[in-house]
Amino acid sequence: MSRTSRRSALLLTFARRGEEEAIREALTGLRQRLPDADVFAVGTSVSAPTLRTVGIDTIVTYGDGRGIRAVVRDARSRRPAAAAVVYWDPGSAGHLKLEAVALLSGATTTYRFVPGAGSKAVGRLRLACSVAVKCIASIACLTAGAAMCALALVCLRGAEIFSGGRRAHRD
Amino acid sequence: MKATVIIVNHNGRDLLAESVPAALAAARKAGQHVVSVADDASSDDSVAFLRENFPEVGVLELPKGGFGAACNAAVAEAETESAVILNNDVLVTPDFLQPLLAGLAKPKVFAVGCKFLNPDGSLTDALGNRTSGRWQGGLLHIHHETRPERLAEVCPQLYPNGGGMAFLRDKWLELGGFDPLFRPLYWEDVDIGYRAWGRGWQVLFEPNSTVYHDQGSTMSRLHPPARIELMSAKNAILFAWKNLLEPGMFRRVVAAQGRWAADDVLIGGLPQRTAALWWAFRQLGQACRGRAAERRARVLEDREILELSGGEE
Repeated sequence: MSRTSRRSALLLTFARRGEEEAIREALTGLRQRLPDADVFAVGTSVSAPTLRTVGIDTIVTYGDGRGIRAVVRDARSRRPAAAAVVYWDPGSAGHLKLEAVALLSGATTTYRFVPGAGSKAVGRLRLACSVAVKCIASIACLTAGAAMCALALVCLRGAEIFSGGRRAHRD
Repeated sequence: MKATVIIVNHNGRDLLAESVPAALAAARKAGQHVVSVADDASSDDSVAFLRENFPEVGVLELPKGGFGAACNAAVAEAETESAVILNNDVLVTPDFLQPLLAGLAKPKVFAVGCKFLNPDGSLTDALGNRTSGRWQGGLLHIHHETRPERLAEVCPQLYPNGGGMAFLRDKWLELGGFDPLFRPLYWEDVDIGYRAWGRGWQVLFEPNSTVYHDQGSTMSRLHPPARIELMSAKNAILFAWKNLLEPGMFRRVVAAQGRWAADDVLIGGLPQRTAALWWAFRQLGQACRGRAAERRARVLEDREILELSGGEE
């Protein structure tokens, strides 16, 4: 069957070890909502075996020379009717990359799957807001983290130098 | 060599009921050694229980200061050449003491660590055996050996698990004991082991000194898991800030820590690292003082410490 004759759905997950059950749960939920859709996923050479284990045969490869632009282009060409993001850690503020790919894939609806807590559909506008907030938070965190570490580096090296020795000394 | 066996306790009356008799039996079997309990401001009836049931055990009632402070106070009070620190959830075997003391008699040895088994006698995920370390991704990654064939002989290790370790009291006092930088707990034992190696001393693993440890039975009772993770991550950062003196490695490690915050947002999963960085940053002044002191006392490079203690760069 050709790619254009059936709807497709995009599953987005980091597919880390131990995440299989959560992915299966999301896959089941996605197939219930779009029973006629071909599900494909974005994966790396590391995550591909996990994705195949849970029953996803079509994998758009990221890495090994294929950058994010190629991945997005490939995902868009499949015209996904929906995207699903698996949130392995519900308390995490992360998943910016997954949400950004879901947004850029052109899917009109995105389902957020939280293991054990079911799914929630979000529209493109809300997803765009979520991505924007995560981008701002990322920049703020990066700035704060870099500032703290830079100050720590200067202070700690300064304290060490002013203490006397620069190298280990032996009797 | 006489030793004081110090059991550190906080609200562990039920654990003491098992651990104190075991320690007393071992102390008697190995000679006339002293057993005492350093009580870190327990609000249960631990102290009354000890006084009523074990009058021969010295009880040191301390204000709340955490594990390290309780150890420091108890070692300062001890009148023996050596001391053994035990967690209140560690059950010693009758013959655990003599091999530790034999190890301490060797030249240049500061401390000797026990062999830790799970309560069922297994080694699966057991922590504190033949420890070694390597720097990776902004942290010192600790390896705990669990293969029985690698735990058959006395050998150097990076640090002795604070749950069961023997050491020479004069060297402990020279090191200043457990550093209060790591309050309330975690990484203080790694720190003292690393600093001892840095001074040219040694830390050994002793497979014939067997103890049983129900990992975290006390901690999980006292603190929620998220707080335990945060405390451990904060202290891992402070450990690097204080002890990693080789300039190139230190820059790489701190740069990796600086990227954590962005990673937490970009790929998710470990937001506690950003929080841990903030909590560590609040103790930067203390870390600076510790680093300056460490620089003055250090006779080995970081790479040498890791190599000699059985790890890798």
